[in-house]
Amino acid sequence: MSTGPRVVGQRLPRLDAPGKVTGTAVYAADFALPGMLHGKVLRSREAHARLLGVDAARARTLPGVRAVITAADVPDVRYGGALKDETVFARDKVRYVGQPVAAVAATTREAAEAALAAIDVAYEPLPAVFDVEAALAPGAPLIHEAWPTYTAIPILHREGNVCNRARIVAGDVERGFVEADRVFEHRFRTGMVHQGYTEPRAAVAVWDTSGQVTVWSNTQLPFEIQNTLAEILALPPSKIRVIVPGIGGGFGGKLRVGVEHFAALLARRAGRPVKIVTTCEEELTAAYPRQSTRVELKTGVTRDGRITAKAGRIWFDTGAFAGSGPGVASVATLVLAGPYRIPNLLIEGYAVYTNKTNCGSFRAPSGPQANFAVESQMDMIADALGLDPLDFRLKNIVREGDEGPTGQVLTAVGLEECLRRAAAAIGWADRRPTADRGKGLACGWWTTTGGSSGVYVKLNPDGTVALNTGAAEIGTAALTGAAQVLAEDLGVDLADISVVSADTFATPFDFGAQGSRTAFAVGNACRAAAADLRRQLCALAAAQWGVAAETLTVRDKHVVGDGKRIALVELARLSQASGGGLIAHGTFIAPPTAYDAKRVEAHVYPAFHSPSFHAHAVDLSVDRETGEVTLHRYVVAQDVGFAMNPTYIEGQIEGGVAQGLGQALSEEIVYEGGRVLNPNLTDYKMPTTLDLPRVESILVEHPSPVGPYGAKGVGEPPNIEPPAAVANAVAAAVGVRVTTLPITAEKVALALSGEATP
Amino acid sequence: MSFECHEPSSVTDAVALGARFGEEGRFLAGGTDLIIQMRRGKVGPRHVMSLHRVSGLDRIEADGAVRLGALVTHRTIERCPAFQGPLQALVESAAVVGGHQIRNVATVGGNIVNASPAADVVPVLLALDATVTCLGPDGERTLTLDGFLTGPGQTARRPGELLTSVRFDQLPPGSATAFVKAGRRKAMEISVVCVAVRLTLDAAHARCQEARIALGAVAPTTLRARAAERALEGQPLTDEVLRRAGRLAAGECGPIDDVRASARYRRLLVETLVPRALRRSLERIGRAA
Repeated sequence: MSTGPRVVGQRLPRLDAPGKVTGTAVYAADFALPGMLHGKVLRSREAHARLLGVDAARARTLPGVRAVITAADVPDVRYGGALKDETVFARDKVRYVGQPVAAVAATTREAAEAALAAIDVAYEPLPAVFDVEAALAPGAPLIHEAWPTYTAIPILHREGNVCNRARIVAGDVERGFVEADRVFEHRFRTGMVHQGYTEPRAAVAVWDTSGQVTVWSNTQLPFEIQNTLAEILALPPSKIRVIVPGIGGGFGGKLRVGVEHFAALLARRAGRPVKIVTTCEEELTAAYPRQSTRVELKTGVTRDGRITAKAGRIWFDTGAFAGSGPGVASVATLVLAGPYRIPNLLIEGYAVYTNKTNCGSFRAPSGPQANFAVESQMDMIADALGLDPLDFRLKNIVREGDEGPTGQVLTAVGLEECLRRAAAAIGWADRRPTADRGKGLACGWWTTTGGSSGVYVKLNPDGTVALNTGAAEIGTAALTGAAQVLAEDLGVDLADISVVSADTFATPFDFGAQGSRTAFAVGNACRAAAADLRRQLCALAAAQWGVAAETLTVRDKHVVGDGKRIALVELARLSQASGGGLIAHGTFIAPPTAYDAKRVEAHVYPAFHSPSFHAHAVDLSVDRETGEVTLHRYVVAQDVGFAMNPTYIEGQIEGGVAQGLGQALSEEIVYEGGRVLNPNLTDYKMPTTLDLPRVESILVEHPSPVGPYGAKGVGEPPNIEPPAAVANAVAAAVGVRVTTLPITAEKVALALSGEATP
Repeated sequence: MSFECHEPSSVTDAVALGARFGEEGRFLAGGTDLIIQMRRGKVGPRHVMSLHRVSGLDRIEADGAVRLGALVTHRTIERCPAFQGPLQALVESAAVVGGHQIRNVATVGGNIVNASPAADVVPVLLALDATVTCLGPDGERTLTLDGFLTGPGQTARRPGELLTSVRFDQLPPGSATAFVKAGRRKAMEISVVCVAVRLTLDAAHARCQEARIALGAVAPTTLRARAAERALEGQPLTDEVLRRAGRLAAGECGPIDDVRASARYRRLLVETLVPRALRRSLERIGRAA
């Protein structure tokens, strides 16, 4: 390896490309079994109501109906992540419009729908709360009256409708404000948005005669689903096999159990395989979207632009169940502190119950919401102080060896380079080139999520290599990246690697496709497995030649040394003839990131592992009369540590920016009185290609000491900064500061006409 | 959802089926509205009468008066050479309906009969003083498009009657049309507001001889802004006159608040887009002259 990497770092085509571009790849929604029934879920029509009765007798008699299940038919189990507050079906009461009440399986989808319509549900409406303010008001109705009795991880700080309050305290924030020359206070709001994955959530379940259930689903986390199903079905995990055939996008929306449990319960009742695929309406009313938030920021600054203190609060509307909320509220505090040197901090993140769908994780959970507030305020402060927003950031950003907000020591900090290169690329010196045209900047930091990964690596009879991983290929090409690492370290080509993935029986454990960790963690596990396999190969060759294994190396599909060489294909043959073939096991767990535990309370995520740093810049125009925004150019400079495959990193950046621009300008799930007004893709406005600018990617490489070849997580960050960058550019273009998301043309136009505060 | 599907092969057969099923039947053209409404449970016809085997309804005749068969698709309008000049607003409006796949099948007759106040082609037809022809058991009748549209999703079409064509006169010299639309995104978008205008100038191009302004998505039906039209006719079209027409149009429309926009933003858009469309028409007349 003295000549530098041959495979890793190269722009090689992804391993799953042929199947995906020819339409032959099998996704979960494609998956079918003989005799399969179709399942449907009956969902609450009330936002908050006592459940007086669910009468399914008539539905059970309808033609084609093979199973109808209600709360009475399933184990009375509360499940969940950090907080176990959810049940399969509503039991005592319903808590949001869309909450499952019953499910049916029938020979056709139409028969299943007819059966849903034949189930009578009696509700007695209760007072409901639809936003954080109402949920926190004195005397507000409790979403979960029995919250103190729920099982939860002990560190959570809970009270009534608050299912966690995470906090960072550093220095003395009041003293910091005294030291400031100016103190700025601003409020922001962000809307609820959906991940917008192309494939809806889907699952097929079948039971065998031994009482084992197999579930094919498009989950990002097969091992978590295995455990959740074990809880829900009251079975040991060994009775539950979860397989991911393929995922048509997830972006965090497919982390938690979606329809797998309904499919499994219905299949058990019917004695036949059952498939469930959600509808678009179910996706937009009863999935795991990004939380809407309210943010308050108070920042103290000296006259020359040094930040002395920041007090920030962010409230997440987590909906009727905690879900990812307690964790997201924790992560948010690190984003809200920002990638800045601030000696005095008091940052709080609240996850608050309301009578809305259970929000979840969406690509960089909390990132866009908190970053929108932080980076909007940075520009507002810079404007007020008469500073250039880039200079103001450069005065305050973290640099090599600085402490993060919770005391972690930051290394491989590429932020200054990101900011300078993004600004240069967008032409920052000419920030307002023509009337109504402006440029905006935003920067941020993010984590590379930890958790362990295991891989098996097997030498095939032809000398090629099978990579067996528990991680699912979510679409990012992360497993191609991991395979590039493996190929590099085994001296073979990428095309020599085949991947088997995401089967809880057949593949080793993996923490899952989440948190920008797959290529990072699986890649490192591949490095360990490759080292093991090299040892085995050298030992086998050494035994043949009667030399010491230490004198041999693996290179270019051969073991070489002692003046000899032997091909991997020959070693494969020898190993199968003598020793049952060669299999190596590699594992990885990110080393813990040290932080100051005294600075955090009720915090589920106190430090960012192998943090990445990034800066975005956008050039746009605003139509002063209609408020319409036209995006001209978009630049991302992202510190990726090491670019395992630049092509797919650019793909992640382009996709993340597109998704972020949707959140910035057009997307929002709109609720009124507990009902979603736009549960369809006509009125839930994801951007089209005509709405999006060309995205220019600048890959900055400050290697992580623990990443494979120095790589950091790359998948989530591109989604974080677009809303703030756009808000700052709109302000630069026409002088209007929109502090709520999305920044619709309507908000801009009404603000420009002096009619409204955005 | 269950229904019987019929495939009449002539206008006569279609009308006979229409007469037989009355309120329980629906004609299916491109299906881009009807199928969605059926899937969402908003309509539940017992009989669906597909028109795809009916020939002769998919033609544009433009020698003399223009006649569009009910099955003319948005794609056909977009590409029609006869609409590249003064009738350009037809192209502009057809080209922003849905995506390519939608425009390949969605028809002008369907767009009219669906009677969405946010329809894009309908305001242009209204600005062209179009008439529609319906054929039913009692024979053929022709109505003004303005009179045909009676409410959201409602028209003067009688049960079982088939809209067969829409017709309007060629424009006199010194005329142009324009269509502008506002929505939350630049494609695949339902109008938050759309505006179609037609201007005819006098021979000297000094004053406005005739003006039509039609507004979409700001009232229960596509709407003529008649006060604004009157404020233009006989006047030299200075920018102030155009802006005044915009203010008048904003005053005479009746928008609502919904998930797509607030009523006051819609009024603001009307006030802005009406003069913008008029300016574009004026430029076109100037270029043509």
